[in-house]
Amino acid sequence: MGGNSKLGDGSGKLLEMLNVRVVGAGERVVVLSHGFGTDQSAWNRVLPYLQRDYRVVLYDLVCAGSVNPDHFDFRRYTTLDAYVDDLLAILDALGVESCFFVGHSFSAMVGILAAIRRPELFLRLILIGASPRFLNDDDYHGGFELEDFDKVFAAMEANYEAWVQGFAPLAVGADVPAAVREFSRTLFNMRPDISLFVSRTVFSSDLRGVLGLVRTPCVVVQTAKDVSVPSSVAAYLKAHLGGRTAIEHIPVEGHLPHLSAPAALVQVLRRALASPR
Amino acid sequence: MAADSVAGAHLHDLPEPILTQIFSLVEDVRSRNAMALACRRWRCLERSTRAALALRGHVRSPFLLPTCFAAVEHLDLSLLSPWGHHPFLLHYQQQQQYNYLVDQVALVAARLAQAFPGVSSLAVYARDPSVVAALAPLWPGLRAARLVRWHQRPPNLPLGADLAPLLAACPSLASLDLSQFYCWTEDIPPALQEHPVVAASLARLDLLCPASNEGFRSSELADIAAACPNLTHLLAPCVFNPRCIEFVGDDALVALATSCPRLSLLHLVDPATLSPARGDSDAKEDAAITGLGLEGFFARLPQLEDLALDLCHNVKDSAPALEALSYKCPKIKSLKLGQFQGVCKGTWLHLDGISVCGRLESLCIKNSADLTDSSLATIARGCRRLSRLEIHRCDKVTETGIKKLSSMLRSTLVDVSISGCQLLDATRSLRALEPIRDRIERLHIDCIWASPDLDQLPQTPERTAADDSDADDVYDEIPGESRNKKCKYAESNHDDIESSCFWFRTWARLRSLSLWIPAGEVLTPLGDAGLLSCPQLEDICIKVEGDCRTCPRPRQREFGLSFLALYPRLAKMKLDCGEAVGYALTAPTGHMDLSLWERFYLQGIDGLSLYELDYSPPQDKEVNQRSLSLPATGLIQMCSSLRKLFIHGTTHEHFMRFFLGMPLLRDVQLREDYYPAPENDMSTEMRVDSCSRFEEALNSRRIPD
Repeated sequence: MGGNSKLGDGSGKLLEMLNVRVVGAGERVVVLSHGFGTDQSAWNRVLPYLQRDYRVVLYDLVCAGSVNPDHFDFRRYTTLDAYVDDLLAILDALGVESCFFVGHSFSAMVGILAAIRRPELFLRLILIGASPRFLNDDDYHGGFELEDFDKVFAAMEANYEAWVQGFAPLAVGADVPAAVREFSRTLFNMRPDISLFVSRTVFSSDLRGVLGLVRTPCVVVQTAKDVSVPSSVAAYLKAHLGGRTAIEHIPVEGHLPHLSAPAALVQVLRRALASPR
Repeated sequence: MAADSVAGAHLHDLPEPILTQIFSLVEDVRSRNAMALACRRWRCLERSTRAALALRGHVRSPFLLPTCFAAVEHLDLSLLSPWGHHPFLLHYQQQQQYNYLVDQVALVAARLAQAFPGVSSLAVYARDPSVVAALAPLWPGLRAARLVRWHQRPPNLPLGADLAPLLAACPSLASLDLSQFYCWTEDIPPALQEHPVVAASLARLDLLCPASNEGFRSSELADIAAACPNLTHLLAPCVFNPRCIEFVGDDALVALATSCPRLSLLHLVDPATLSPARGDSDAKEDAAITGLGLEGFFARLPQLEDLALDLCHNVKDSAPALEALSYKCPKIKSLKLGQFQGVCKGTWLHLDGISVCGRLESLCIKNSADLTDSSLATIARGCRRLSRLEIHRCDKVTETGIKKLSSMLRSTLVDVSISGCQLLDATRSLRALEPIRDRIERLHIDCIWASPDLDQLPQTPERTAADDSDADDVYDEIPGESRNKKCKYAESNHDDIESSCFWFRTWARLRSLSLWIPAGEVLTPLGDAGLLSCPQLEDICIKVEGDCRTCPRPRQREFGLSFLALYPRLAKMKLDCGEAVGYALTAPTGHMDLSLWERFYLQGIDGLSLYELDYSPPQDKEVNQRSLSLPATGLIQMCSSLRKLFIHGTTHEHFMRFFLGMPLLRDVQLREDYYPAPENDMSTEMRVDSCSRFEEALNSRRIPD
């Protein structure tokens, strides 16, 4: 809304900036939106199955490694809304009127907000590794305790300080607690200032309150064991999302099923994309 | 002797033609650059006499093409940045500007022709045929061409279309090198057959590309041979598997030899041997090649000097054929045999098998299960000129055999490679090379530490009936390390003071070392194994291979690169972890992911004063990703003496920017020279724009020297 008018002329530039690609042929449009630390190439293993039957739109989040870091406006991307603006601007620039949205982790949050803002644009939301809030609360189990966050942030701040001085830091991965390891691995692939900034944005956001405003039917994809997203979160989402929600289970471990188990994920996607409406 | 009158004479005072002649003889690039900095006249001279040039600029700045190098004959365009891109920057998204692009291509091509009029040898990255189509006509007198492509072959390309423009435009082409060019085997024969004039003038044809795992069938081989009767050098992968249709057997070999009698270098290998990973070589079936057939084959190739037949199927009883080789091909100097059995029995007094080839200078025997110590001794007796020996997976060879061979060949042997032999771990290999420790210049060993079962080996080697007329002592092995070892060598009265103390063995002339090490192992036992002191070592190549997902966790936190600081002159390192496979992003809990493995491997690299580093990151096979991670970047960045850095993989732009902090860094490139190289539009990290931004930043820094 607010952002769209600013980008009126620049929508072409936005398409180029975020490496927007449209592949495949078909009547219906599927938007694949990646999570942290990767970029659209994370969908490489899933893409061949989809591009035969659908027009697939791929793009990189502005915080992805493959986007020119100079485009990351620290004043603009303070909340998730700016990312939603980007997504909607892309869809408008491409002339998409209705689509299926597949979002992983961070993008799932963006998708939820986008569906609240423009419900007519989304036929269905497919949310992989999604969580409305990562931090544990009184009776809500988000998966992360405050200490875990603090350790991740400490590592990322050390990362950032070293980066500012021109040194690539050596503290990664192994030095954060196991609970957050898989999740944070991708964080360290991003440029340290951007990733620190974005992590603060994400870890402080709480979408629980607005879940009820979603009218779009959703599919929540849950892996057998995701260290970052406990299984209770999927149930929470199903209970609170405003539209019809189904949970799909993938019998594989991990937070990144599109990388570690693409075949299983494709089956889930096919079901989700094929159902009527 | 200089009298006062000539006290002021200077190189600079020589007349121009002589100076030009002198300059044109200098080949080393750094020397030439230094010469060019001396004064303007020298710079002109240097520029006008430089004969070989590799362009490393960015594809976006064709106006920066240097025009002063008018004498260049060997032009290498395959390293233009970003590596692997179309030299004319055909941007797929700019389809609508097609006409403009055609003009730009023509412009750049014309500029190249103008800048380098005398090119006779060209190397270019030919992603699709349009590149060659634009460049080849500029130099119709081209004598040698090398095409490079690690990307996938463009779909829907007619057979032979990659080569057709080149063959059509350059009728006097004599050498075609496709060893880094991925194409199908079916592409080659039609291209050659359609251009018979060029094919007839071809003398060198190199088709050994590790990317393709197919080989030429017998009919294809025959077609190539028939089209190019004047070949003197041919390297090609062939289908030797007798289970395949049209396998290459005795008849095919004879047909080849009949068509190309002038062959002096012939390498026919099974495509499986070209893959970078070490396969397992369980005894397989027999090849369709017999000793008798080989004899007929050799009879038709009297000019043969360098032969390689590297098979994955057994060739039995090859001794008579090898004896025939030495009679029929008297010039034979270099031989490589894979999976040949019965190469040299060495049981009697006389020389048999390979050892009859007295002129051999380079010998490589792979997967020969019956090669024994006495075979080696016989070979040493027969091939007195041997300077290079390579043994791979010959499981019966022991330390004694190698030791005897090296002491007998002490005056000539300078290059030894021992790999994959069960009875020869690192320590034993090094001990076995004791007789040539002060002479050896190039060495490869596998870093296999401590094999417990080797101590039970019978101590007495098979004694040959041959008398030790060369007066070298048979070595008495005392179990356990002995501190006082004395050897008598054949020719010299070399007083080996150092050998009396095991720990200070100096490898006085060793210049180049190559190591193979399984994933998860550490490097530090290398000192204990015996390679503590290598004062001349300049160049090291370390290959790590294995599955990081299943191998046990390393015993130490560091791989041990800091150990290499012991070698004072070490300047160039190649660290190839490309065959170490692991998880990039999807490591299950409890497993190390590749970023941690890279930290393990690269820790300590800052202590080495390296000039050049070639690094291949470990790969995640599931997603075909070979990418530099954050800890790897940080560790490489700390290596402050580095001038040249080549990464054989991809990485993020902001990681690359860390390298800008390295003061001496001049040349950085991401070279994805493995198949399949990531396609541009699917590549994860480095794209054209990122590349250009990085290079601009790199080029704009001040360089101290």
